[in-house]
Amino acid sequence: MAENKLKAKGAAFNELSSKEKSKKVIDLLLNNAMYIIIVLAVIYISIKVPAFIKLPSIVNVISLTAAKLPIALGIGGCIVLTGTDISAGRVVGLTACISASLLTTTFKVFPNMTSAPPIIVVLLLVLVVGGLVGLVNGFSVAKFKLHPFIVTLSTQLIVYGIILMYLMNGTNNGQTLSGLTEGYRSLITGTLFSIPTATGSVAVPKYVLYSIILVVVMWVIWNKTTFGKNMFAVGSNEEAANVSGVNVSKTIMMVFVLAGMMYAVTGFLDGARIASANANTGLNYECDAIAACVIGGVSFVGGIGRISGIVVGVLLLQIIFAGLNFLAVDANMLYIIKGLIILIACAIDMRKYLVKK
Amino acid sequence: MKRKIAVLMVATMTAASLAACGGAGETATTAPAAEEAPAAEEAPAEEEAPAEEEAPAAEEAPAAAVDGTVSVFYYTYGDTYISSVRSALDAAFDSAGVAYQDYDSNNSQTTQTEQIDTAIAQGTSLLVVNQVDTGSDDTTKNIIEKATTAGIPVVFFNRSVSEEVVTAYDKAVFVGTDYEMAGHMQGELIGQYLVDNYDAVDLNGDGVISYVMFKGQEGNAEADARTQYGVEDANKVLADAGKEALSFYDSNNSNKYLVDQGGAWSAAAATDYLQTALSQYSEANNNMIELVIANNDEMAIGAITALQNAGYNKEDGSATVIPVFGVDATDAAKDAINKGTMIGTIKQDAEGMANTISQISQNFMGGADKFAEVDSANVVGTWRVNIPYATYTGE
Repeated sequence: MAENKLKAKGAAFNELSSKEKSKKVIDLLLNNAMYIIIVLAVIYISIKVPAFIKLPSIVNVISLTAAKLPIALGIGGCIVLTGTDISAGRVVGLTACISASLLTTTFKVFPNMTSAPPIIVVLLLVLVVGGLVGLVNGFSVAKFKLHPFIVTLSTQLIVYGIILMYLMNGTNNGQTLSGLTEGYRSLITGTLFSIPTATGSVAVPKYVLYSIILVVVMWVIWNKTTFGKNMFAVGSNEEAANVSGVNVSKTIMMVFVLAGMMYAVTGFLDGARIASANANTGLNYECDAIAACVIGGVSFVGGIGRISGIVVGVLLLQIIFAGLNFLAVDANMLYIIKGLIILIACAIDMRKYLVKK
Repeated sequence: MKRKIAVLMVATMTAASLAACGGAGETATTAPAAEEAPAAEEAPAEEEAPAEEEAPAAEEAPAAAVDGTVSVFYYTYGDTYISSVRSALDAAFDSAGVAYQDYDSNNSQTTQTEQIDTAIAQGTSLLVVNQVDTGSDDTTKNIIEKATTAGIPVVFFNRSVSEEVVTAYDKAVFVGTDYEMAGHMQGELIGQYLVDNYDAVDLNGDGVISYVMFKGQEGNAEADARTQYGVEDANKVLADAGKEALSFYDSNNSNKYLVDQGGAWSAAAATDYLQTALSQYSEANNNMIELVIANNDEMAIGAITALQNAGYNKEDGSATVIPVFGVDATDAAKDAINKGTMIGTIKQDAEGMANTISQISQNFMGGADKFAEVDSANVVGTWRVNIPYATYTGE
């Protein structure tokens, strides 16, 4: 079946004139430019530093990607709606602080507590907190017809204020939260499985599994549910979606609530992954997440985007981070390279859109 | 209907924020200040101004030792160490019966300068400034000019300002630390520790200790000094003991440090860097990183997390401990040191700094000599007080 399709494509391709052929090839290259860049980058880095494609390094890039995936998965939905969400990083910070203040052995924020609540309770609590911020965002966007940038700028500030107040609570005095319980840390950073190597073994942390689960869940939500279809419908044309019976407000609110919950998961994971949380935790996380989505082809034009694209976007950013470190490239160059990649990605993305028109 | 929903939303938000804060008793003193700052910024309206002045005054009613309100500008509420200073300074002013108002400059010099203008317009009697942009004489001059015009004293603290600018105004002082000192002390602490434990630290037995240095921020004088002296001074101690100098783990890196890209001195940056480095450098490859030096405790803690994930520095003492050194002596770092997962840090004395600022403020406002009752051993010339650092290696 697939073979037939390929053959048919091949036949169609052969029928084209040479000029059209070269145009097709260039299109193909441009449309997959990000994948090509990844492959070229990996080849270049691994020629320079062979250790880059050894197992420990691969596991490192995968776990870095896993840690940064949930927030990008959340923000992706907001971008599909032609919006954005710049409150994401602060929500990560707040939920990381809540997790770290409850699942601890020192209880500085709540001096009256003597034992940590069950981990699942804290997870649910931060999901509710993240969801609430998302609800405020979504509600304001849907009902007041405000641009998501302005709405989330406001909630970003509000959430930061809450973080600062939260950290001054009890006997904490704005200090960094640490002293996490062993149960919490091992649930996140514990070993999922070890891969034996020639010289020892490489442990894959558990949060990689959680990220994979989230990717699957989000893929199902985006592709197999009515809500997912509605999201794309609203993103590509709000009016048309409304006319065809989609509850636009509800869809927008649900996208933001879902996003808020994904930030909460990021915060919950990061609290244990970094093993400390303070007012700076999560700062600017949304920038990388938005960049990853855009690189992965989630378009600000609206209604366009795939989960696989987001995964590729996050992966590319982490390959660059790890690769430039392996190459010992000046840190300043990282900004420039990242900036160029985002710019190129957006340009290619826009080109696709213009062609469609 | 829509309006009802809106009201409900606001109610939920408030409830959520309250719930998030739990028993918000402690926050009561800081919250109003944080909220007032922006309000004061936009509108120095005549009706509002007196109300704002009264608010803190009413709060600090117990003993009006001196007249007037002190305005305190913190470079950011997000900084852990500065938060310690803020709590201590609030407490010091409270107990001395001095009215004060706190401002969060949120890491922006523009915001801070505007806040200072507003405070002066409100009729504040003293400025206490934690300047955002270090190493900018123009900013300092600008603030001093404003203070001179208003005829009020200004106390700079924590982030360094230059001598010539401060000495030009007789009512200006600087309460800081000898910022290079932290780096020197950290270097000496590291050197001494290595000399005492050389063979244990040198995991591959090649006679050279390979290290990693985490820098908090580019273009920050303190970060530069710590990055430089943390290694240089350690090397001096090592050389005196006849040992090889430290060697950066990655010989291709000409900077010989890894810097937080966001300039936030953050734990996450150190974790990500070290995790990446450890995927290439390990005991199995015989090139393990044998020493971690960080510009601050945040980054030290972040590094420890990465080490723990790689099977080092376990709390139960079952694994090899890669020595980690920081600066600040935050609570988290002290915990880590007492648990044996970190070796040492340099303590910045937040309370000492706060009490000195409070004392100098009262001296200015009460008309006494500006350095009266300040430990004269710490006074430098006529313009600055240095709060000494101390090493912390556990109790």
